[in-house]
Amino acid sequence: MHRIFLAIFLFLAGISNLAQSADFSVISAGVQPKMVKVYGAGGIRGLEGYQSGFLISDQGHILTVWSYVLDTDYITVTLDDGRKFEGEIVGADPRLEVAVLKIDTEGLEHFKLGDSVGVNPGARILAFSNLFKIATGDEPNSVLHGIVAATTPLNARRGAFKTTYKGTVYILDAITNNPGAAGGALTTRKGELAGLLGKELRNSQNGTWLNYAMPINELIPAIEDIIAGKTRPRSFDDDVIRPDVPHTLKTLGVRMVPDVLSKTPPFVDSVTASSEAEKKGLRPDDLILYINDRRVDSCATLRSELELIDQIDDVTLVIQRGDDLVEIILQGE
Amino acid sequence: MKSTITIKHKMIVAFLSLLVLQPNMFVNAQDDLLEREEKALQAAVMKASPSVIQLELVGGLESQELGPVSGLAVTTDGFVLASATMIPANITSILATTPSGKRASAKVISHDYSRNLVLLKVNTQETYTLLEAIPRDEIIVGQWSIALGRTFSREFTNQSVGIVSAANRVWGKAIQSDAKISPANYGGPLIDIRGRVFGVLTPLTPNPQGGQSDGSEWYDSGIGFAVPIADIMPHLEKLKNGDSLYPGRLGISLTAGNIYDLPAQVVAVQPKSPARDAGLKKGDIIVELAGNSVTRQSELRHILGAHYAGDTISIKVTRDGEIVTAEVTLAQELEPYEHPFLGILPDRHYDQQGVLIRYVYPNSIAEQAGLKSGDIIARLNETVIKDHNQLRVELANFEPSGEVQLHYLRDGQITPINVMLASIPSELPVIQEHPLPATPAPANNLATGLVEIKLPEEANDCHAIIPANYRSDVPHGLVVWLHAPGDVNDDILKQQWEMLAAKYHLIILAPKAADDNRWQPTEIEFIRKTMDNVINTYNIDRNRIVSFGRQAGGAMSLILGFSHRDLVRGIIPVDAPFPLRAGISPNDPAERLAIHAILVKGSPVSRAIGNAVKALETAKYPVSRTELESPGKITDALRESLTQWIDSLDRI
Repeated sequence: MHRIFLAIFLFLAGISNLAQSADFSVISAGVQPKMVKVYGAGGIRGLEGYQSGFLISDQGHILTVWSYVLDTDYITVTLDDGRKFEGEIVGADPRLEVAVLKIDTEGLEHFKLGDSVGVNPGARILAFSNLFKIATGDEPNSVLHGIVAATTPLNARRGAFKTTYKGTVYILDAITNNPGAAGGALTTRKGELAGLLGKELRNSQNGTWLNYAMPINELIPAIEDIIAGKTRPRSFDDDVIRPDVPHTLKTLGVRMVPDVLSKTPPFVDSVTASSEAEKKGLRPDDLILYINDRRVDSCATLRSELELIDQIDDVTLVIQRGDDLVEIILQGE
Repeated sequence: MKSTITIKHKMIVAFLSLLVLQPNMFVNAQDDLLEREEKALQAAVMKASPSVIQLELVGGLESQELGPVSGLAVTTDGFVLASATMIPANITSILATTPSGKRASAKVISHDYSRNLVLLKVNTQETYTLLEAIPRDEIIVGQWSIALGRTFSREFTNQSVGIVSAANRVWGKAIQSDAKISPANYGGPLIDIRGRVFGVLTPLTPNPQGGQSDGSEWYDSGIGFAVPIADIMPHLEKLKNGDSLYPGRLGISLTAGNIYDLPAQVVAVQPKSPARDAGLKKGDIIVELAGNSVTRQSELRHILGAHYAGDTISIKVTRDGEIVTAEVTLAQELEPYEHPFLGILPDRHYDQQGVLIRYVYPNSIAEQAGLKSGDIIARLNETVIKDHNQLRVELANFEPSGEVQLHYLRDGQITPINVMLASIPSELPVIQEHPLPATPAPANNLATGLVEIKLPEEANDCHAIIPANYRSDVPHGLVVWLHAPGDVNDDILKQQWEMLAAKYHLIILAPKAADDNRWQPTEIEFIRKTMDNVINTYNIDRNRIVSFGRQAGGAMSLILGFSHRDLVRGIIPVDAPFPLRAGISPNDPAERLAIHAILVKGSPVSRAIGNAVKALETAKYPVSRTELESPGKITDALRESLTQWIDSLDRI
């Protein structure tokens, strides 16, 4: 008898953990039928031939990431219950790095895009994906738990991230940056769809891997266009439109120090008499830090940034002079 | 009795019905709890965020640009702590966010070289918000910890949630957390669920003298560190004045061996050191430091690790059964210690009291004093000498130009001599091989020739050359040969070394990189395991363990030598730059380490090696060099000469 009592007490003592797992397991059970495993091209040069995806309509539409995995004549989609279908590419938006697949079946459980939600930093999230291809057949996808670490635009600093997606992303406090996780679903702790797990991405500035998801709300117009059969651009020119007549150092009246190093700090060498630069008080030895709020780390980047600014527009410089920061606005013509 | 059982039954039924009814209620209650917990964590982040600064680094000459990094305001007028790893020394300009969200320039004021931090001053009139510091004794393993950075955007902090994994890590210097700690938040704070600050996030390594890393390769791995703010604040005024903080040094050597096992017994007190000033003596056992009891050497390191140079702490030792107490002021740098040299090689097979002289160096102190091979050194000053290892340890209390009295035995007669010790010569010695013992060889059942060393759970290959004349009663030197990228031919290695190994009683150990073409610094641990394996199997002479390698293998041999001072006694890097990022650790009286660098004329790294050799000379290491014509081939004659240098490493 005593043992039974003890067992019950222990059971009650452990109830808080149990309840949490019950909570998450109920949520997980609700999400899993909407998840799929996607198999395609790959397997060479260490590239994996698989990724994740999830159903977004009762017509068999599946949202996933646009990647080399889909670059094949035969894509296999495995449902949560283990059934296999051939996936057909409905369309893709390489600029947003998303693709929509379709399988020939109807009436499956799916996420309703219109019900998707945004999440704030600090919010608990669940990430569903088939990372490392660990789930096969009718095994459910893996669930990771974490929080939203930050929301940030990926184009905040040019060159930090080699991706064509430039919108806002959720940075995740969960290790989702793993082979096969791309295309997985990010949900709130209540199972509401919030994001699409992105492809493996490394921060080229500090070498760390980025765990992130693209907010569904940013993708919906593209997804709707793809499903409606509207053409999306197959490629996207990353650069902004170049002006016909851009500013140059010469027209502004600035000469920089000789560009002898691979990254010569952008110090002003001299300023042409009665030029716009001189009028606004630019001086030799000023260090140019920002040009129109873009960071400049060398003479070379200064020149390439100038090429993007039309001669009729103003140029705002933030310079360091000794210990002071000074803002100087050079007027366009 | 029966009624009791009935009552129990009823209770069980009651419990069970409770459980049957509950699931929904539990889930709802839990839901509520999760939400409240989430809100509390978010509130803590909101509270702490204003003190988290973004630092933008501009115009450094580093080929790889570091992204924005984080910092923590520690005074209202703009002093900010950040991680030294993230702030390159040659950066042109640092910009910090101000409370109003503007940019202001910032300057490096001082460093904490013990805990890998840097103090900056932001040039602003605005007022920063400060966080409440959590006292050391309120830091409890298991409580929530949130790592904050301000790297992804200037407006918002980024956060990672975990728990405190350990309260006292990296020799007492840091708190450990399982939150994801990386360049995305190095320099930012680790806070608790009330928005108070534990410490500043920065990579640290328990083995900084190893030089192979600063600990940042552990990013996002479930292990991350924060330097307790409570440890820094008492030193803030000093840092603000531009005075950097350094690890504190005592200037003693302890009994060699397992630091987790042995008591902190002093075997040598460095001349001109805080320990010498405090009156510490050879033989003292340290039992208390800064009010904390010490029973093992590792505890001494934990306590010392938390203190800085300039700190005055109490020390308690037992000497001849009595407790002696002293105050000691830790030094930033010790005057480099130089090993003294008498000029003899000991006979390694002599098994009686004293040191039988095998060889006397020409023009040495020993020769001038009239010592000859065959003499037996019996006493150093008042100490009766048991064997050559003891003589080496005793001499570690002296430096060149120290005066000692020796007693030696010749033809049954004991003679005292007074000598002034000299420095270790930098030429390669010319010596004959050590004769084998006269006794018949014991039976040997160990394999000889090229043998494979296979370690469980290690992917790397490793072979060893065991000389055909191996005898278990002869101590063998160990040469750890670390191949250059792509140069992994065991047959050539065997050709080059088999004869020398037999002649000079050496075992050649050749661990290989997992990828033939490149070494990973992390493979040092594998190499160490292969060494331990050989040491446990064969009779290895601890005075003659040498790492030897060319190019990347040479760099590995340096890392191995400097990170495993307890084993390695010599390093021969060939055409290899010195990868010792953490700088050169001080020369140690007890753990001897000699370096013979081989330079190749016209090699791109020659100059760097030349500079490193100079730095080692300044640090008073026994360092010597050979310069080769391009392409830097090691001839058989040079290899034999190097082998004689290895054979001479038990020199006294």
